Amino acid sequence: MRIGSGEGFWSPIVWVILALGVLAIGFAVWLQGRRTYKRGTEQEEPFLSGERLPEGAGVGATHLYWGFAEALKPLLVRLGAFHSGFLGDYVGWLLVLLVISILVVMLG
Amino acid sequence: MGNMPFVVSMILVGLGFLALITRRNLIKLTIGISVIEMGVNLFLVSLGYVKGGIAPIYTYAPPGFKEMVFPTPQALTLTAIVIGLATTALMLAFAVVIYRHRGTLDAGKIRELKG
Amino acid sequence: MVHAPVLAIAVPLLGAFALPLLARLNRRARDLWAAGIAVATLVFGIAVAVQVFASGRPLVYTLGAPSPTASVTEGGFPIRIVLVVDALGAYMGIIALLAGAVGLFYSFQYLVEEEGKTLGTSLLLLLWAGILGLVYTGDLFNFFVFLEITSIAACALIGYRVWEPRPPEAAFKTMVMYTLGGLLVLVSVGILYGEYDALNIAYLSKLITGTLLDKLALGLLLGGLLMKAGAVPAHMWAPDAYGEAPAMAAIVLVANTQAAIYALLRVVFTLFGGALASPGIGWLIASLGTVTVLVAVLMAVVQRHLGRLVAYGAVSQLGYMLLAVGVGVVAAGKGFGEVALKGGIFHMINDLASVGLLFLVVGAIRRAVGSVDLLSLGGLGHTLRWESGFFLLGALALAGIPPLNGFASKFLIYESTFKASPILAAVAVLSSILLLGVGVRAFHGIFLGPKTRDVASSPRGMLVAMGVLAVIIVVFGLFPGFFIERMVSPAVQAILGGRASYLAAVLGG
Repeated sequence: MRIGSGEGFWSPIVWVILALGVLAIGFAVWLQGRRTYKRGTEQEEPFLSGERLPEGAGVGATHLYWGFAEALKPLLVRLGAFHSGFLGDYVGWLLVLLVISILVVMLG
Repeated sequence: MGNMPFVVSMILVGLGFLALITRRNLIKLTIGISVIEMGVNLFLVSLGYVKGGIAPIYTYAPPGFKEMVFPTPQALTLTAIVIGLATTALMLAFAVVIYRHRGTLDAGKIRELKG
Repeated sequence: MVHAPVLAIAVPLLGAFALPLLARLNRRARDLWAAGIAVATLVFGIAVAVQVFASGRPLVYTLGAPSPTASVTEGGFPIRIVLVVDALGAYMGIIALLAGAVGLFYSFQYLVEEEGKTLGTSLLLLLWAGILGLVYTGDLFNFFVFLEITSIAACALIGYRVWEPRPPEAAFKTMVMYTLGGLLVLVSVGILYGEYDALNIAYLSKLITGTLLDKLALGLLLGGLLMKAGAVPAHMWAPDAYGEAPAMAAIVLVANTQAAIYALLRVVFTLFGGALASPGIGWLIASLGTVTVLVAVLMAVVQRHLGRLVAYGAVSQLGYMLLAVGVGVVAAGKGFGEVALKGGIFHMINDLASVGLLFLVVGAIRRAVGSVDLLSLGGLGHTLRWESGFFLLGALALAGIPPLNGFASKFLIYESTFKASPILAAVAVLSSILLLGVGVRAFHGIFLGPKTRDVASSPRGMLVAMGVLAVIIVVFGLFPGFFIERMVSPAVQAILGGRASYLAAVLGG
């Protein structure tokens, strides 16, 4: 059950077999670990930088990819302004798209 | 003068787009859409116009007629008018609902969906 | 089953308009009626697809003729309205059938009686009929009519929650854009009619020579259809519409948008395939597709509203399809053009499954919690176990993680796009990575973390509807070759080499 693209091919079954192999290796490594971890004791308590977490603290969804969004901020701000929500802009951009497509058909 | 109806219909379409871009009142935007619709309908009707042509009903045709009009454009226009009525009605209904929620019809202020 | 093509359109149309009448009598009768209509539509639609795929020839059905096959009059002039279903149409029909059936099944327990369940179901059937008509028709004016039927039904569904401030706004904006798109198509139909006195797609295709007016008509059609397919810069209606529509409508809307891509293929390859399919058009579609992917994914990164987040994800997937279609036009006749079209067409059903699943899960969350604000959600995985699994599956498939179905089609798109233009391929891959980030962020925000509230799990019917899509995601991911050989390849052949047989099937000879 493989599909080819002319250059390479993709076979999910092979991939699944390989992935199972990798998982087996990972499991074998995990089995080598220390066995002193006990559930239900204070070993389960979460720590942040060595401090006990204050009540209600956690890593929220917005904290993941924070740096990413921060780095792209100039672009994202501009894109946000582009999606102004004003109906006149919608129609204006539709006209732009229309003019572009007519020009391309006429010239191409 | 043969192309005059086409020119007029395209002017109507242009005016409608102008209204959509420059006006902010939702009712006026609906009118703008209607004006474009009317322009397109005029375009379709004028496509089917044949000078001196008669209605395509053979039993009523006068003896020495020259040309009959192909009835398709009229049928298309009727359909397009009905569809236009439905869209206009739906848009006006939504404008009413929006006014009840926001207390305004200004498209510049109805911008909660952005970004 | 000779009449299957027209019945597949007529039955849901009748069902939609009779539904409110039956609801006056009895709610139970109404539900049975809706179920019966759905089953009948599925049967007729599948019968059409089976006939087309088995015979390998386009299926022609003529309306108002002595026999359904008499598509031309004695003089050889095709004045009657025809339905033409080739392999591509049958494939797109299957997608529409899947979307409508899953949406209807889901809506049965999703819609609330007091909020207008009758009208919601009725509109959904109307939208379904519109999409099927759009896909099956072989007549340009009918194409416009069905386009407008889908527009009106879709916008009414988007504004279904009139008691909230946001949906009517989205519906109004979408309505303006859809109507303008439809009118552009109508002007184009008018131009072609004025030039050739015909509305039949096959007959027009034979006559079109590539005059200035033909080019203008093609440009107008492209503009209108690209808008409807959600291409940047005219994509802004799409996140509004998808984000605010009720879940069962959002999935059918996705099929509706894909029908625009189907129409794009039909226009470029069949209608104007003889004279005007130039590489310039291909580059236009491909580059707009790439920009769509990038813009939509970047916008998805910053969304707080869960519906809008998934909606931008959906728009980005449409960008992938446009990219594949564009590369297919650029490289028509070359090997990688075929691969690109294969990827793009296969991606349609994969996109419907993954994005549709995400929309359905968002609908379930909205129903259970009453909020879709990412910042106020959290810890739902403790109670909504099935939903969290489905969301993760959908998000991973959306990002194209192997071995799920999204990867199989994106693999074909990447490989072929790379040969046409490495830059476009690089942007497409990068966007997929960002999309994974979006999915992980949303999953983390909704389902992980400490349990904050008690919510009831979704009714079983909704879970079954989601489960169907989840099964499709996994099965198409593990066995893509099976599906590609039987359905996608015939559809691609119908685009690339099938214009002659399409014309011959309608015009005879």
